Amino acid sequence: MSDAIPTIAEAGRQIAAKELSPVELTRACLARLHALDGELHAFVHVTEERALAEARAAERVITAGGPKGPLHGIPIGLKDIVDTKGIPTTCGSKFLQDNIPDTDAACTEKLAAAGSVLIGKLTTHEFADGGPSFDLPAPPARNPWNTAHFTAGSSSGTGAAVAAGLILGGIGTDTGGSIRGPAALCGIAGIKPTYGLVSRAGVAPAAYSLDHIGPMAWTAEDCALMLQALAGHDPRDPASASRPLPNFTALLGGGIKGLKIGVIHHFHEVDHKVSDGTRRGIDSALATFRDLGAELREVQLSPLPDWAACGSLISITERAAAYEEWTRTRLGDFSERMRSRLMLGALVSGVDYVQAVRRRRELRAELQQAMKGLDVVLTATQPSEAAKIDEVPKWDLFDRPNFTMPFNVAGYPAISICAGFGAGGLPVAIQLVGKPFQEPTLFRIADAFEKATPFRGERPALVTARAAA
Amino acid sequence: MRSDINDSALDYLLARAGLDLTNEQKVELKTVHVALAEMAERVRKPRGRMAEPAHGYGFAEEDLA
Repeated sequence: MSDAIPTIAEAGRQIAAKELSPVELTRACLARLHALDGELHAFVHVTEERALAEARAAERVITAGGPKGPLHGIPIGLKDIVDTKGIPTTCGSKFLQDNIPDTDAACTEKLAAAGSVLIGKLTTHEFADGGPSFDLPAPPARNPWNTAHFTAGSSSGTGAAVAAGLILGGIGTDTGGSIRGPAALCGIAGIKPTYGLVSRAGVAPAAYSLDHIGPMAWTAEDCALMLQALAGHDPRDPASASRPLPNFTALLGGGIKGLKIGVIHHFHEVDHKVSDGTRRGIDSALATFRDLGAELREVQLSPLPDWAACGSLISITERAAAYEEWTRTRLGDFSERMRSRLMLGALVSGVDYVQAVRRRRELRAELQQAMKGLDVVLTATQPSEAAKIDEVPKWDLFDRPNFTMPFNVAGYPAISICAGFGAGGLPVAIQLVGKPFQEPTLFRIADAFEKATPFRGERPALVTARAAA
Repeated sequence: MRSDINDSALDYLLARAGLDLTNEQKVELKTVHVALAEMAERVRKPRGRMAEPAHGYGFAEEDLA
């Protein structure tokens, strides 16, 4: 096979046509992993023998009767807060270094049932919060576009591994932006689906009412293919939605002429002013959408710090409750950054929490009202290109309201896609937000943008240099 | 707007949370307390006592079986 890294959609078509062997595809991913992960630290556990066995099994089945779907034989990875039966699941923490689950998480089961090939477990901030940390058992993941820089988190390993082609897709989790942030800084696509669409069963909690599980991949189309396998009701998750599933790729290729995109300019131009590079990426994206026939409208919401305050108070409190026992008895065993986050729980009262949850209802109603007559809204995903990994502020939470938390607060689906590159050569991104359970529309618009722009044609230099060597 | 937290108030909150922190950790918490208190003020709006929180409680199919 060639050195080009296929998307899931491309590989799936080639596998179905018997032009690509799942074994060769898996070997190519493993070869890149062995060449690059010493620098990237995207993986904490590689399941090489299992992956090759799964790939061989997939090849046998496909040869005999064709693939069971577009993920059959596709190499993937799972964030290391996702339970995997018989495979270490450490949550990036000293607490769980010897933890080997005896059951799979719901998303693990679903991706396995779809025939995907598990390459291994991916680096995460400890229990999906607080990084980058240098005092954990494993080092933080590095950005493939420049390894001196941060990936964002907490699905840091998934972002790095997908961008570098060590896997074709992976699982991230998102409590305030942990899928969309790494997707943005690593130049890939990542979707936080509607709250309740993908089961959280078997995934370590960060904050119960804000936690979402979702796919990260090179393109929006690949995310749609993965979401098709992941979505669905699960009685093990008390928040799981019970409703018919759409075909998530049904609207791809339909064009976006006449669709209405609301732009929340004040989020990224006033409330938290983005860098010049990110601003250029957003403005250029808006011009592209206009050229493709979409109608742009201005949207006004409550200031970003209102959303951040609501989400942060809920997140701090629910996390403190989830990890209270260890916080009380073994606080020193957490990383320094996680420890500091957990300590905050002592400063939030029960009344503060309930007021935040009451505010949440108001903010969600506000977004619902603002989106009437619109198909999606748009803002930044991240304020700038990735910072250097040793210059990430510890108290970002208070210093800079993030662009992703509002849609965890609302539970609305939101996707980050690459919108170009900044002056430093690192990716910049836009975030598109849909109405609940309207992921097909999000994918339609994101896919149209990716196909109209050249950014999916460029992989990190580190990857192309190794391929040429 | 709530102001800086004093040592005895912080000690009370930490004791209630079951946390035994070093002096350095207490100093750090005090530095971020104001920002956290500002967040707590931001979520308070004149909404009256009837405004419900976002979380509802519904019966599952299993309850109805």
